Amino acid sequence: MKVSRKWLQTYFEEELPSIEVLAEKITFHAFEIEEIVGDMLDVKVLPDRASYALSHLGIAREIGAILGLRLIRDPLSAKLEPQKISSNRIHITIEDTARCTRYIGTLLEGVTVGPSPLWLKEALESVGSRSINNIVDATNYVMLNLGQPLHAYDAKKLTANKGGEYSIVVRNAHEGERVTTLSGEEYALTRSTLLITDGNEKTSIGIAGVKGGNLAQVDETTTSILIEAAHFTPEGIRKTSQILKLWTDASLRFQNKLSPELAGYAMQDVVNLIREISGGEVVASNDVYEVGDEKVPPVEVTLKKINSVLGSQYNVEVVVEALMRLSLGYMVANEKFTVLVPFYRKDLCIPEDIVEEVGRILGYEAIQPLPLPPLTETPDQNMFRAIEKIKDFLIERGFSEISTQSFSSTGDIILLNPLQKDMPALRMSLVDNMKETLRKATLLAPRVLGTKNQLALFEIGAVFNKDRESRALALGYTPLSGKKTGKVLEDVQHALFIAFENIGIVSASTDEILEITFSEEWLAHLSHEAPPKKVRLGMYRPFSVYPFALRDIAVWTPGGSDVSEVTHIIQKEAGDLFARVDLFDTFEKDGRISLAFRLVLESFERTLTEADIDGVMQKITQKLAATGGFEVR
Amino acid sequence: MPEGRLHPISVATREIADIFSRMGFGVANGPELEDEWHNFDALNVPAEHPARDMQDTFWTTEQPRRLPRTHTSPVQIRFMEEQSKKGILPPFRIIVPGKVFRNEATDATHEAQFYQNEGLAVGEGISLAHLKGTLNQFFKEYLGSEAKVRFRPSFFPFTEPSVEIDVWFEPIGKEGRWLEVMGGGMVHPSVLENAGVDSTKYQGFAFGGGIERLLMVKHGINDIRNFHNGDIRFVYGFQEEKTTKS
Repeated sequence: MKVSRKWLQTYFEEELPSIEVLAEKITFHAFEIEEIVGDMLDVKVLPDRASYALSHLGIAREIGAILGLRLIRDPLSAKLEPQKISSNRIHITIEDTARCTRYIGTLLEGVTVGPSPLWLKEALESVGSRSINNIVDATNYVMLNLGQPLHAYDAKKLTANKGGEYSIVVRNAHEGERVTTLSGEEYALTRSTLLITDGNEKTSIGIAGVKGGNLAQVDETTTSILIEAAHFTPEGIRKTSQILKLWTDASLRFQNKLSPELAGYAMQDVVNLIREISGGEVVASNDVYEVGDEKVPPVEVTLKKINSVLGSQYNVEVVVEALMRLSLGYMVANEKFTVLVPFYRKDLCIPEDIVEEVGRILGYEAIQPLPLPPLTETPDQNMFRAIEKIKDFLIERGFSEISTQSFSSTGDIILLNPLQKDMPALRMSLVDNMKETLRKATLLAPRVLGTKNQLALFEIGAVFNKDRESRALALGYTPLSGKKTGKVLEDVQHALFIAFENIGIVSASTDEILEITFSEEWLAHLSHEAPPKKVRLGMYRPFSVYPFALRDIAVWTPGGSDVSEVTHIIQKEAGDLFARVDLFDTFEKDGRISLAFRLVLESFERTLTEADIDGVMQKITQKLAATGGFEVR
Repeated sequence: MPEGRLHPISVATREIADIFSRMGFGVANGPELEDEWHNFDALNVPAEHPARDMQDTFWTTEQPRRLPRTHTSPVQIRFMEEQSKKGILPPFRIIVPGKVFRNEATDATHEAQFYQNEGLAVGEGISLAHLKGTLNQFFKEYLGSEAKVRFRPSFFPFTEPSVEIDVWFEPIGKEGRWLEVMGGGMVHPSVLENAGVDSTKYQGFAFGGGIERLLMVKHGINDIRNFHNGDIRFVYGFQEEKTTKS
């Protein structure tokens, strides 16, 4: 919800603090602020408070409560009488009274459509809204001010019957019925969409609660208008927006449980504003409001409850001050509050809701941290620890842990809306991911493992079939030298089944991959598990997304020469392109020692060219050659 | 063979479990493929409620449909249901580290699959002040002695009051800053009742937040997508030090 400081200021006599201070106050007492642009705040109004706070009035109420300032006007405080003026001129039929609980139509004649006055243009533009003409702007302004969506139709484009009577019918769309919106998009509808229609012509003039149609659009020739202030129930609007993928300022508000009472206030304000800026007179008004608003019952909460939930020591006076700042009526007896909830605060239903109001207005910073009381029983971490123990067992044997995606190309459990079309299922096994990880890891091994000649990996994760979800362990092993795998996996499997009796069953086994699915029995009957090893990680050194390059370099050194002296020179001369260097061969001949290194080069900015690599190798060779006693082979 | 490497998520989870065990928290588990009741309904997120839009959900094609859980909170319900069934009364204290799924576009700070750690403490007179005390203690041990938390008002259907939780973090050699790391609040009475716990007698706090995010700030990791793509460069991208002491 975008709000402007200038607009909010119209609710207060005292000068409001700067936009930055307002933003901070709102952040710590009400809502997150998404953005501050000049005089504008973009307030992130979450669903619970959206019924009253998607409006300048709602945000002004919050600011008043936080800063302890009184609103100089409250547009919703006066009692409204239903306005029915020559109501026979506007016939209103609501076919689906479950989805439309109120419809007010007001007919104004003699309006002059034109540009809006400067103040109105500026107000709309200050919150990122575009000025269109004085009629449309007036409906938008009142919506942004009070939170009630409104719509104006050109009455001349509607059809009056012989008696001069207009007919508005709120009905479900016919299957396949089409409607074109104000902005020109055409939608094919299903029966679940509620429409506003011209009952005399049987044509649709708007998608109820979402967007007006183009048939009765107000333009510069318009002289009489029919204004709509209605109430549509949240579920229907939400469904329509989802089906049509059409979310508007109006649908957003109706989705969030507005009070139908609001429509009356908004109609009064918009009629007054239009008469002021476009002229015209009300010639007819009708209000179909059969059911009335759901009464919000008072909420009872004790001082004890407030303090027990917040962990505070507030007294009655402090709580009373918070309620008064929130303009909530209350009665208090024996430290028990009965809070009277205004019709627009649909969010206040249970004692905890009042606790939250008191807590946030008085400020969560006032809550003093308290340690939990000690417990006598030892906490149960057995299953977690047992699985971590398996990891420690494997790590001691040289296996490294990896983590992969749970989505798969095939499986029993298929997703309706997968992230990637080629990965529509939940994995039934860890084997495919392990295979792929081994393949990629083989290519990356020189960069990661240097000249270490084997790759040993494992993953523990959930796997899914149509009957159950299980936890599995996959082991992957590749001798990078190209030699046979040997018995590595077989040995580990053997050791695992000895160390962890009844751990599970072997669910897959190849030369390179072993998968064990843990048994539920085993997981359910663990006790007295010791905590796993603690591992401390240092800072992360990111890797380049560009390919690395490998070069071998062999150096004759005088006997007893230090390896680190050579690696130091290599690292220094390779500069930014240095990734790692590993000694992979040493032999002695004629009192000299030959050291062979594998050097890994990479750049964080680009793929290395032959020229880059040759340049580095040349620098290294020259430097080594210039160092006493070294000779590059 | 030289010793292998432990995945950073495991490293963090061990440390988290260790710190919380000293405050009396067990570790609970639940399925990654959840039913709608545990993931949404029991957590006070009714069907056709805008709050459901806050969490983009993958659905299965099954009848009735299930979902890869969007948060670890369903384990709150499962745990309390189980205790209630066994006739075990609060106090309850658990953490739930586990994988969760969100149907959203991925980038350097968003992944469709990530790990969360959930916390739940239910008992008599457990308050928001206890939540603050517990998390202060956790972050002091996890991030450093200067760490502390602050609360901002928020909304989650399963807590009332609800708060966003920021932590003050001073990276070595850098200026301190507030980081948004968790959501939490006081468990909504309907949630307690849905799980068979008498909400007139017991109350409690709950919190939840991403584990990757904590690791990213603590160790300077630049891209969340590296965690779960099986790239061995990631696991080997840290200096590591082991201690057997517990």
